[in-house]
Amino acid sequence: MNGTAVLHSIIDGVLTGSVYALMATGLTLIFGVMNIINVAQGIFVILGAYLSYALSVHLGIDLFVGLAITIPTLFVVGVVVERLFLTRIKGPERVVMSILVTYAVSLVIEGVLNMVFSTNYVELHAWYVDRSVKVFGIYLPYIYLLGFAMAVVLLTALYVMLYRTRFGSSVRASLADQTSAALVGINVKRVSTVCFGLGVAVTAAGGMIYGATNAFNASSSYDLISRLLVIIVLGGMGSIGGALVAGIMMVTIEDLVSVVWGPVWSNLAFFLILVVVLSLRPQGLFGKQTVRVA
Amino acid sequence: MKGNSRLFRVFGVVSISLASLAAVSTTSGASSSGTIAKGQPVLIGASLSLTGDFSGDGQAFQQGYNLWAADQNKNGGLLGHKIELKILNDTSTPTQVVTNYQALISSDHVNLTFGPFSSLLTLPAARAVSRYGYAMVEGAGGAPSVFQAGLHNVFDAALPVANGLVPFAQWLASLPASQRPKTIAYVTSTDPFTEPQIPVAEKIIKAAGIKTVYYKTFPAEATDYTPIADAVAAANAQVVILGSVDVPTVSAFMQAFEQAHYNPKAFIATAGPDQGKTFVNAVGAGNANGVMVPNAWFGGSSNPESKTMVAEYIKKYGGTAADVNADVAEAYAVGQVITAAVKATGGFDNTKIITYLHSGVTIQSVLGAVKFNSLGENNQPTAYTFQWQGAKFVEVNPTTDPGATKILFPKPAWKN
Amino acid sequence: MLKVRNVWWIAAFGALVLFPLIETNPTYTGIGVIALIFMGCATSWNMFSGYSGYVNLGSAVFYGVGAYTMTLLADHLNVPGNGDLFWLVPVGGLAAMIVAVPVGLVALRVRRHTFVVITIAIFFVFQLSAINFGFTGGTAGLQLPLIPWLETNYNKPFYYAALAIVVFATLLSVAVRRSRFGLQLLAIRDDEDRAAGLGVKVFAVKLTGFTLSAFAVGMGGALFAIFIGQIYPQFVFDPLFDISIALMAIFGGLGTLTGPLLGALVLESMQQYLAIRFSNGSLYLIIFGALFLVIVLFMPQGVVVYLSEWRSLLASRRVEGARVVPEEKS
Repeated sequence: MNGTAVLHSIIDGVLTGSVYALMATGLTLIFGVMNIINVAQGIFVILGAYLSYALSVHLGIDLFVGLAITIPTLFVVGVVVERLFLTRIKGPERVVMSILVTYAVSLVIEGVLNMVFSTNYVELHAWYVDRSVKVFGIYLPYIYLLGFAMAVVLLTALYVMLYRTRFGSSVRASLADQTSAALVGINVKRVSTVCFGLGVAVTAAGGMIYGATNAFNASSSYDLISRLLVIIVLGGMGSIGGALVAGIMMVTIEDLVSVVWGPVWSNLAFFLILVVVLSLRPQGLFGKQTVRVA
Repeated sequence: MKGNSRLFRVFGVVSISLASLAAVSTTSGASSSGTIAKGQPVLIGASLSLTGDFSGDGQAFQQGYNLWAADQNKNGGLLGHKIELKILNDTSTPTQVVTNYQALISSDHVNLTFGPFSSLLTLPAARAVSRYGYAMVEGAGGAPSVFQAGLHNVFDAALPVANGLVPFAQWLASLPASQRPKTIAYVTSTDPFTEPQIPVAEKIIKAAGIKTVYYKTFPAEATDYTPIADAVAAANAQVVILGSVDVPTVSAFMQAFEQAHYNPKAFIATAGPDQGKTFVNAVGAGNANGVMVPNAWFGGSSNPESKTMVAEYIKKYGGTAADVNADVAEAYAVGQVITAAVKATGGFDNTKIITYLHSGVTIQSVLGAVKFNSLGENNQPTAYTFQWQGAKFVEVNPTTDPGATKILFPKPAWKN
Repeated sequence: MLKVRNVWWIAAFGALVLFPLIETNPTYTGIGVIALIFMGCATSWNMFSGYSGYVNLGSAVFYGVGAYTMTLLADHLNVPGNGDLFWLVPVGGLAAMIVAVPVGLVALRVRRHTFVVITIAIFFVFQLSAINFGFTGGTAGLQLPLIPWLETNYNKPFYYAALAIVVFATLLSVAVRRSRFGLQLLAIRDDEDRAAGLGVKVFAVKLTGFTLSAFAVGMGGALFAIFIGQIYPQFVFDPLFDISIALMAIFGGLGTLTGPLLGALVLESMQQYLAIRFSNGSLYLIIFGALFLVIVLFMPQGVVVYLSEWRSLLASRRVEGARVVPEEKS
């Protein structure tokens, strides 16, 4: 074991973790505003990756340029899913019902993706995907750096929108308390729809990076969703800052364990950390003490 | 209480109607008499993973089975009976695979059964099928556990898994000392397909004085391979043996190696590079060059049976010889084994077929000669090593084989 | 005196007992075995999650522990491949209960939706441990001795053993429902803080319910292990099992008694049937997902409650204004 390897794994972890953090932010935003656990988030990431794939293979559009098309597309997909299905969920078991509905949605999308793209694994390619730059003796892949930069830009944009716009204050009010938000005249319904759209839209960006760093097919969504869920719970459900910190932390620790103790223990560490943290802090790292009881 | 009794009634009604429905639909048990009326088709059943984790391989197997059936039907079917394939989807789960084979045999009354995909599903399937006295010829259940189960009816037409890397190891050991690499790294997924291969190869390689500088296993479920691949790159071994089961794993390792500017002199992965176009598309056209994979078959095989099959495949599905997945050939070979057994026994009696396949006969197939030992393993085929050379996927090992191309060593640099 | 509802129970039970005697085709008795195992597990799952509102998406932990206990014991005790294996089924259930205690101690500290996710995380801890530790056989899995029964009768012992688990789980569910303990679980579902304020020892009640529910699920896993004959980490610690069990109970009617039974019977049979019918895998996913979506959206309280509400509505039209509210929906 040498210092460089440890440092290397930490840098890798922070760079890849930021992309997970981006995808998890969408998930936690949806939960915080709507009390919905969107288990379709995994398949939306894959859908985003396939859209980038189709654009780059068939139309020769660069992966990052293609985001200008895929992000709005997934926003629309999110809005449609929310309007068609999620608005119908009522009753006391809202959280549980939302898991069921979004799971059903993800099954249908998985089936459609299998039909359109087959189950053969594909990966996204561009000149920067396989290249790297040497910094202080460590090779840093361009795609990780670009992914990190993209995550930072998008998260900043999200931050500005939430904290510097009128719409953002409605969202934050809904995050804090839906009933009171409605009382002060906020159109909670519209806020919910837009938030679901936004939460899904970020998967287009996350999916593109995921697809450029992993060969994937529609079944890859199952691995993704379990990791994303763990991240948002660890961060504290509904806490955007928590999702950020937890995303980067989890992936970094996982990478470290892999290098220090061996890869077989890294996944185990990922889930064990969650169990331990929640035993000590049931509301998660940044969760509010009075987590809403549905 | 009023509301309650209604609920119970619903439950009662459903159960009773199911039972009565069953009474109507009751059919006799399996028919394994071995004769089929003239003009009637011969029905062959298989369960394949058309969805779920193994769906990629499952669908390639389906192509192989279909291709064989179509070819055989063109030549008059089996003993004059047209072949009808009944393929069910097991969604990659053992529960469904058991249900499916029971359904195939007792409801669809298939005459013969073909195996599912992967060792994981082959065992539960073979156990269920054995209760009916059916033979199960399969091409994807080569893990040692399949043969240790004490089943008399399983026949694996493909190569037993554990020996896959032997020719590669022997080739390394046979290199003159000046050329022979000094160091090697082993990294393998915890999977019944890959893990048994590594110790067999390591024994040979160690004896040749090549030093092991890295040996670690990683979980089959790993999603982020970067730290592992970086650790392998940091060990800077001259040779890397990767125990992989699929394309994403190999592609992730190759990507990380390239990003770390690490290029081993020889790189072999147990599965993934054999997936033709899928592999090349995933890793990028230039990067496949020099990558090796052990296998029992490849699209450019000089075996005449194989050539015919590849031509048929291209006619039906398009592409080139290199695009044909080895799964297709393994599935096709299953059909050929059954063809031979049916012809030799003159019927479709599974007991006779089992006895015949255990008798030590040699059957020609697209995979080469097939001959079963008492456990149902096919020890006949030599394992081959294949290598991507440019856009071509060629046989390079064993070097004594007349069809073998000269091995590309050391491996050229990554390029895109 | 025999009450009407008891008649229906007896009729349903009778039908299930007679089923494999009338229907001898192993295809259907085989689906029956699996459906019954799921019925038992779903009922047991519902006894905790349905009553308390704590949705456990890690019930495969109990299932897997049951299966591994069965397989490891059969190996260590050299149990031959015959009916003796069935005696180990309750042991599998006990092992699951023992495991449930520490799991519950960790998971039940958090509230509802966090509980959902922490059960998923604990599930993965168990699955990955089964893959990584040596005694479990790793990914190569473990085998049970071959049972040399003929195909015509092979499924029957499994069928009746599974039926016994269903009967046990149902009786336990009824008993809990009628007890003070059951009322406490329901109180937790309705308002945990108030229940605590009224003197319910909330944590102890939850832990007891959680542990009790592990027993039948563990037995189900143990029985499944013998039925299939071979276990692998990813097949007995199966995330799809976690989801299926919850779906079945919710589909039938969360917190009702008949809901999980009906839900498991219908969903498992339907799933297996659809898989056989639509050999085009993608189409199977789309149809199953779409059907599922329709059911969840239009009958959000579960089929049982939906049907009974519908019937009450008809009844109340006849008897003007007298709307019967189903007792079980609270």
